[in-house]
Order: sequence, then C-alpha cells, then structure tokens
Amino acid sequence: MKFFRLLTPLLLAIVAVLCFAPAAWAFCGFYVAKADTKLYNKASQVVIARDGDRTILTMANDFQGEVKDFAMVVPVPTVLQKEQVRVTEPKIIERLDAFSAPRLVEYFDSDPCAPVYERELSAAPAPAASNQSARKRSSDDSLGVTVEARFNVGEYDIVILSAKESGGLETWLKRNGYKIPRGAKQLLQPYIRSSMKFFVAKVNLDKFEQSGYQFLRPLQISYQSPKFMLPIRLGMINATTEQDLIVYILSPQGQAEITNYRTVKIPSDANIPIFVKDEFGEFYKSMFQTIYTKEDRKVGFLEYAWDMGSCDPCSAEPLTPEELKQAGVFWLDDNSASNVPVSPNFRRPFPRSNVFISRLHVRYTRDKFPEDLIFQQTANSESFQGRYVLQHPFQGELKCQAGREYKQSLPKRFEQEAQTLAKLTNWKIQDIRNKMKLSVGNLRYSWWENFLSWLGLY
Amino acid sequence: MLLKDIRDYQILFLGLFLVLGIGTRDWTLRPEFIGVAIATCLATQWILSLVISHWSLAKNIDASAATLRERQGRTRRVGQSLNIRSALITSLGLGLLLRADHWTTMAIAAALAIASKFIFQVGDKHFFNPANFGIISALILTPDAWVSPGQWGEEWWYGLLFVGTGGMILQRVGRWDTTAAFLGSYSLLEAIRNLWLGWTWDVYWHRLMSGSLLLFALFMITDPRSIPNSRIGRVVWAICIAGLTFILRNYFFISTAVFWALFALAPLTILLDVLWLAPRFAWQEKDEEAGEELLTQHS
Repeated sequence: MKFFRLLTPLLLAIVAVLCFAPAAWAFCGFYVAKADTKLYNKASQVVIARDGDRTILTMANDFQGEVKDFAMVVPVPTVLQKEQVRVTEPKIIERLDAFSAPRLVEYFDSDPCAPVYERELSAAPAPAASNQSARKRSSDDSLGVTVEARFNVGEYDIVILSAKESGGLETWLKRNGYKIPRGAKQLLQPYIRSSMKFFVAKVNLDKFEQSGYQFLRPLQISYQSPKFMLPIRLGMINATTEQDLIVYILSPQGQAEITNYRTVKIPSDANIPIFVKDEFGEFYKSMFQTIYTKEDRKVGFLEYAWDMGSCDPCSAEPLTPEELKQAGVFWLDDNSASNVPVSPNFRRPFPRSNVFISRLHVRYTRDKFPEDLIFQQTANSESFQGRYVLQHPFQGELKCQAGREYKQSLPKRFEQEAQTLAKLTNWKIQDIRNKMKLSVGNLRYSWWENFLSWLGLY
Repeated sequence: MLLKDIRDYQILFLGLFLVLGIGTRDWTLRPEFIGVAIATCLATQWILSLVISHWSLAKNIDASAATLRERQGRTRRVGQSLNIRSALITSLGLGLLLRADHWTTMAIAAALAIASKFIFQVGDKHFFNPANFGIISALILTPDAWVSPGQWGEEWWYGLLFVGTGGMILQRVGRWDTTAAFLGSYSLLEAIRNLWLGWTWDVYWHRLMSGSLLLFALFMITDPRSIPNSRIGRVVWAICIAGLTFILRNYFFISTAVFWALFALAPLTILLDVLWLAPRFAWQEKDEEAGEELLTQHS
C-alpha cells in the first residue's frame, strides 16, 4: 500500500510529462486573439516570394471607392508579358495575414497548494521556439512612350509601358484616361532613368461585372531581376497621413530584412493585464504607434518570422502546399534544390519546410522614408513572433502556506502587468489600474488580510 | 602600458560600438558569436605565429645558437604581445559586421581572416584587410553568412560617434586621407547619379548617412598595415574602391558592395606600393625593429 502511494504521484508525473511536455517545451499557452491587418483602415499588403533573382509579387489593393476609378501605376524592373501576370484570390493574403498576425495567448496559474511537480511543469521556462495577349508593340514617338505589351487578365486591363521622359509618360497616361496626381512627373522621372518599366492596370467594367466578384482581386506578377525592392515613393504623392504597408516575404532560406532602413522587432513576450483580452486590437494599435514614435518613425518592424511548416501557438493553420503555391512559392516542386544551399545535417536539427515567412510592417511618411524599400534575404533562421501573454491567477480556494504566499505575490504581479501595459501603449496607468480592479476584483486584499497574513494567521 | 598604443583606442571604440549595438541597435548581433570570433582569431594568430617562427628558425640554422635563442625570445615576445591587438581588432570588426546562423561560420571567417595575413604577403606586407577577407570568405564559402547593412540605421548621433572616434584614430595614424578620398569620391558619384535621376536630395542624404558605410570608411579601409604606404597611392586606391562600390551598388544591386569592392581591389596595393615608394607603416618603434629583424631573418 505504501509502495502504491509513492508510485501514484510518480505515474502521474510521467503521464503529465508525456501529455503536456511538448507544449511546455515550446511556447505554451493557448492562442486567443490575433491582431491582423483588418485593424487598419488602409493597409497595403504585398506578398513577395523570391528565390535567387526570380520573384513573384502579389499586390492586394486597398482601393476604396468606385471600381471604375481604380487605376494603378507600379514601376517594375522588366517588361512583363501576359503569362507573367495573373489574378489570385484575396483569400490567400487573408490566410498569410492570419497565420503571421501578432497574437494573444493565455495561461492559467495552477493551484499553488497542489503537489510540486505540476507547478514545475507549468512554470517551465519556454525555451526558444522549435526553430524553427497578344503583344502589340506600338510607339508614340512624340511622347517617347512605348507600349511594350497590352493585355487583359481577369477583370483588369493591363498595359506595360516604357518611357523616355516623364513628361511624355504623364501625357500618355492622361490621354488614355488615367487620373494622375499632381507632382507625379517629378517622381516618374527617376524610375524612367533607371530603366524601370511601368505596370499600369485599370478595371475592365464589363469583365468585372461578369466575374461576379464584389471586390478587386489581387494582381500577381512574376519576373526575373536582381532588384529586390518595393517602390513606395509614388504612393506618397497625395498621401496626407502615414500609410501602413505589410510585406510578407517568402524565402527558401531564412528571415528577410530591409537593407536601407533599420529593421526592428516589435516588442514581444510581455505579460499584460487580463482585461486586454476584450480589446486586443486596440492594444496592438496603441503599442505599434508607441514603438513607431519611439523609433523616430523611420524603421521597419518585424512582426513575424517563422518556418512555414509549423507555428506555436497557431493563430491560423499553416498554409498548405497548394496555398503556398497560390501565394507565389514557385520552388516547392524543385526537388533538385539547386538554388537552395544544402547544409550539413548537424546544422539543421529540426526538419524544415523550405519556406520561411517574414512579415514586415512599415508605416511610412514622405519625410522619414525618402528612398524606396530595398530588401535582402538572410540565412537567419531564428523564429520570432509578436506574442502577448495573459496570465490568469488561480481562482480556487487556497488553504496552505504556499497558497498564502502565492496570494500575497499577486498584487505585485498585477502592478507589474499594469506598468508593462502602460509602457507599451502609453495608456494612463491609473486607467489601467481601474480597469484591472474590475476584472480581478475578488483577488484584492484588504489591509487587515495583509496584516493577518504577515502575522501568519490568515 | 594600456592606451599607449593607438590600437588600444581602436579596441576600446570597437568594443563600445558592439556594446551599443547589442544594447540599442541590432537585434541580429549575437554576443556568443562575438566570443567565438575573438577566441578563433586569437588562437589562429597564436598558432600561425608559432609555425612561422619555427619555420624561420629552421631556415636560419647556421646562425649561432646564442643569437638564435635570443632572437626566438624577442620575436615571440614582440610578435605575440603586438599581434594580440590586431587579432582582437579583426575579431571585433567581424563581430560588428558579419552575421551568421551558426557559430562554425563565425569561426571559419575568423580563422581565414587571420590566416590571410600570413598567406597573402608580398615583401612581408599583407594586402588583404583581415576582417574584410573573413567577411567575404564567409559569404562565399558558407551557406549561412550575411551582412546587415541597414542595421546601424542613419541616426545622426551614431554618425557623430563614428566620425569622432574614427577621426581621432585617423589623426594619430595619419590615414585620414584614405577616408576623405573614399567618402569624397563616393558621395560625388552618388550626387551625380542623384542629379541625373532627378531624386530629391533627401534620398541622397539617406543613402550616404548609413552607419555601416561610415563604419567601413573610418575603420576598415584605413588599416595602415594593409593599405598602400604612400599618400598618393592611398588616394588613388580609395578612389578606385569608391568607384567600384558605386558600380556594384547601383548597377548590380549588391547591398554589400563596399566589402566586395575592397576585397577585389586589395591586391592593387602591391602595384601602388611599387609605383610610389614610401616607408611601411609601423604601430610602434618596437614594432619596426621587430619587422626589420624578421626581414633580416628572411634574407
């Protein structure tokens, strides 16, 4: 009988380790909410899948207004043919967004009066992540504009232009019914001089109505060029406020970063008060604004970096190979792996899917981001996620010494959480404290409870 | 003893940048890899110094035993105490600029950086900048090395810090001409391009204010031991590097253009030293003695 008593906790411990340990080794806690791009009224989203100098770029339009007014002019490095342009489903960008969005997780404190092994298990520090058309070439000599290609794809009419001078390009666009904002001429010139081409898209209303889509679908272009950049200058011509841009970079190797601006990780792994659960979106927006101001509004932020094969905790299921292909990943079938450097096994202790996602969030204005964004892929396989933690105190009855100590430690912990939240979001600490009292009311202590427990009587 | 040598200041400043970088700037900097770089550089320096001194001894077997012992003692003493400094500078430079996913990459870069000093020598002068050689070898030979040119940002006070500390060292070693020629010609080329393209001038300043570029111009291309000895040689050399950097960055879209340009043009030092003769740089008088001694041993 005595033997059995000893054995039971041991067996329990083994079972517990077998059942829960994998969660404890990785980032434990349960995912409860995510801060996706729906938070922002206007956030352009771009997916860049790139391997070597081959690129597939997907542009989601944040266009709000009459579809007939939609037009976009994007400088591109090469002349694109019809086969290089297609439309994709908006769903794929939503999936990438959901998968990589900053997330809120929650933990529940265990009973401090319960046997020790359980507590040790739940208190185990979370170590680093588990790593792991028919082409028609016509030239308008007087304007110096060449129509390199003209075709339609889905609901879009597309023209690829090359130009000799910006005045001519501006005139051409105006004559062909594009509304070009003031000041565009000066901005178009540098792109013409660096021999960029112009990808010009308009909505074909007949086709759009036939298609039955309610919204404009993302356009996807593929090209081969050593230029790994994203032109943001043109978009700033008539912008009055800062603009949000989310770039998802899919790479066969590791993290991507900006080479001509600093790339900074957003604050992560902070314990924050429980009431944030109901206003996570607001929290994230305030936090982002605070760090953006603190960094003097001139850096790009890394919100997520992870191997596409896994996630922990998952705010959405990893994308299937089919979805990845739709997102532009073109090297999945490439079994020869000639472009992916094969490293010795000892360097890759974990199996990797050969797609790594980096989610970069750039909030830019004309004065702080004078130059277009230039990126590079690195071999940095370190995982990172914007993750915020809610730690629920134990709610049950506490009738042991450890329980009393635990209860005494709580006010200090709550105050710490309040201060962390105030620091991250710039919210008023007093407001935070007031809100917290509402949500953890029954865990506050009166002065006499504190006094009695100090005497060891309570 | 401490801070008597200019290189002590250099070590101090580079160390300060690393601390600042880890603390405030660059989240890809990994302290343990800097440790690996320092350990590997010092170890490689020590081993290769031993090998070289044994080799020289074997060649001078006919010399008298007493002179030999004396020489051996002096060479080793002088060589080691002095070369720890330059090995340390090389490792700090690697730590500041090179990034890797695995520590072995850092070790390979550090070992090759120091080895390049011993292998690529003409007339007892090495012509590759050791840290630069280490960076380029890691980029070519390993799958997981990279350089983060954006991570030092373009904060004005960082620029000021680099210019201030770098300027102080350059003043002491008398190599400000190289930095001036490099930055002057590079910014002139970028200015012409900016004017031609029609960008506004804030684009130009943004391109030039990069912390990595300043770090390179002040601390890497000015290493007096591996660059041309004569002033005119250095100016010509720096202008060539600026030109190649400009071409690689703007026409081949290589973000790490400066490092490739320095690597490709390092051997030009030999030619420039032949064209314009000048005495070789020495950190201290003692060092010069040691150099002469080694020369006589070789001859």
